[in-house]
Amino acid sequence: MMETNYTPKKNMTLLFAVLVLIGIIAIIVGFMSDTQRTWANILLNNYYFITIAMGGLLFYSIQYITNSGWSALFQRVPQALGGFLPVGAVLMLLMYFGLPQVYEWAQPDITETDKLIAHKQPFLNVPFFMIRLVLYFALFLGVGYMLRKYALLQDQNNDIKYHEKSRYFAQVYIFIGAIFFSFASKDWIMTIDSHWYSTLFGFRNMIISMYYGSAAIILMILFLRSQGYFKQINDAHFHDLGRYLFRFSIVWGYLWFMQFLILWYANIPELTVYYEPRFLGEWQPVFYGELFINFVIPFIVMMSDEVGKKPKVLLTISSLLLVGLWLNIYLQIMPGAYGPMKFGFIEVGMWLGYAGLFLGVVFMALGKAALVPKNHPYLEESLHHHI
Amino acid sequence: MAQKNIVAKFKDEGKLLKALTRLKENKVNLIDVYGPFANHDILKLLTRESRLPYMSVIFGLAAIVLTFGFLYYTSVIDYPISYGGKPIFSFPPMVVVIFFICILVTTIMTVLTFHARAKIFPGKPSSPIDPSVTDDTFFLVLDQNYNPEEIKGWLQEDGADEVTEKEI
Repeated sequence: MMETNYTPKKNMTLLFAVLVLIGIIAIIVGFMSDTQRTWANILLNNYYFITIAMGGLLFYSIQYITNSGWSALFQRVPQALGGFLPVGAVLMLLMYFGLPQVYEWAQPDITETDKLIAHKQPFLNVPFFMIRLVLYFALFLGVGYMLRKYALLQDQNNDIKYHEKSRYFAQVYIFIGAIFFSFASKDWIMTIDSHWYSTLFGFRNMIISMYYGSAAIILMILFLRSQGYFKQINDAHFHDLGRYLFRFSIVWGYLWFMQFLILWYANIPELTVYYEPRFLGEWQPVFYGELFINFVIPFIVMMSDEVGKKPKVLLTISSLLLVGLWLNIYLQIMPGAYGPMKFGFIEVGMWLGYAGLFLGVVFMALGKAALVPKNHPYLEESLHHHI
Repeated sequence: MAQKNIVAKFKDEGKLLKALTRLKENKVNLIDVYGPFANHDILKLLTRESRLPYMSVIFGLAAIVLTFGFLYYTSVIDYPISYGGKPIFSFPPMVVVIFFICILVTTIMTVLTFHARAKIFPGKPSSPIDPSVTDDTFFLVLDQNYNPEEIKGWLQEDGADEVTEKEI
């Protein structure tokens, strides 16, 4: 009963390959027609999938820190999402070749004309940016590797010490992940608008990663269930997963509004420059659309316990949230990195390509270990989860 | 003349659940369960799930509408002052006020509704069915159905610690 390993189906692998092919075509088309837009899209999709992968690992660590029993059954799913991080690291390193296209401060002669960027030069320069990028990933991957290692060791040996090791590294990861992912999001996304800053930005993006990480976990579980795995997952598990979405939707709305209200109220030109194109300019539909998709709809739908635990509702809301995450990052990156609002084959094709790559990597990681962890001390509790 | 009720005493909520399921299957008329802590399964079997959350939603919506009306009246209609060049009617700062008043009104009104519905108030003397209900014991109360002896038998069989008759 418990020995099921996940084996990806052949036609699924083929589908992912086709998606990656579409992505490659989109990148080639992009580089032929509009280089800047393509680099901005590469950053968008890198960040999109790194966000989800980080969210998965943060979810995984939270379960250990809080000694949660209910999630032991499907803990391999968030861990598999984190399996994308090494690929994400390589893709982020490739951004080196496109830095001046996306980041204003990386342009060679900008310091001569722009006093403010010249002032920020000691921090905002290409070598230091790359050093920080490598440092972040070294930390994420190093501790992430330890989490994976002890999870696999526990599969082989029924020894409580591996569980305690896992918990120790989960505690490390939650700090490293939360603090350095906040820094990373400031580095990668906030410096696009290099004249602007928000102290809330990093925290908000860390919360975003946990929000959409939960949505991705729900989608993965629902998919695996439709394939005949995870038969033991019951109403109570879905109830708890739904609560994750509901709570994070509240936090998301709260932080969204805090960042907006303070800048709106202070009305200082250096700061309102960020919201001007988004709140009043041509990006207005995306601005409000994002708010509806990411906060209003999940909040209202998930408010009722009875509605929120239905798998169909969870499927709809989680899929909607993945669109919402794209809009969220699109709105954070594009006005600064590219300028005019454009949406076409490049955006869709590249997202599909990255999604193919992401799913391929995640399902490969999922297939490498037992789908249900063996010897997990809380497994019995998780199998009989009941609220 | 008041009829006596059947009262079954359970130390274990698992046994109580088993007994309740069997009584439900036989369509026995239940009155109530008294216990030291809430259990969702018992509530479900009694079909006594709380409707209080719906009242909370109604109070919350009412608070939002009323607070918005009040703010709109004071700052736009009655006493319009321009602060820092902002438009007279600006929604963002209202959100904070509406948010907090919504929480305050909902909390207080929900507490009051609960007390009104359950007919309890500060200083009301408590009359538990048995002192041990505040400790570790559940009490299942049913009225005399058409087959009291059979019901008592079922209760004994399912592990009731004591089955008595009592006027409540």
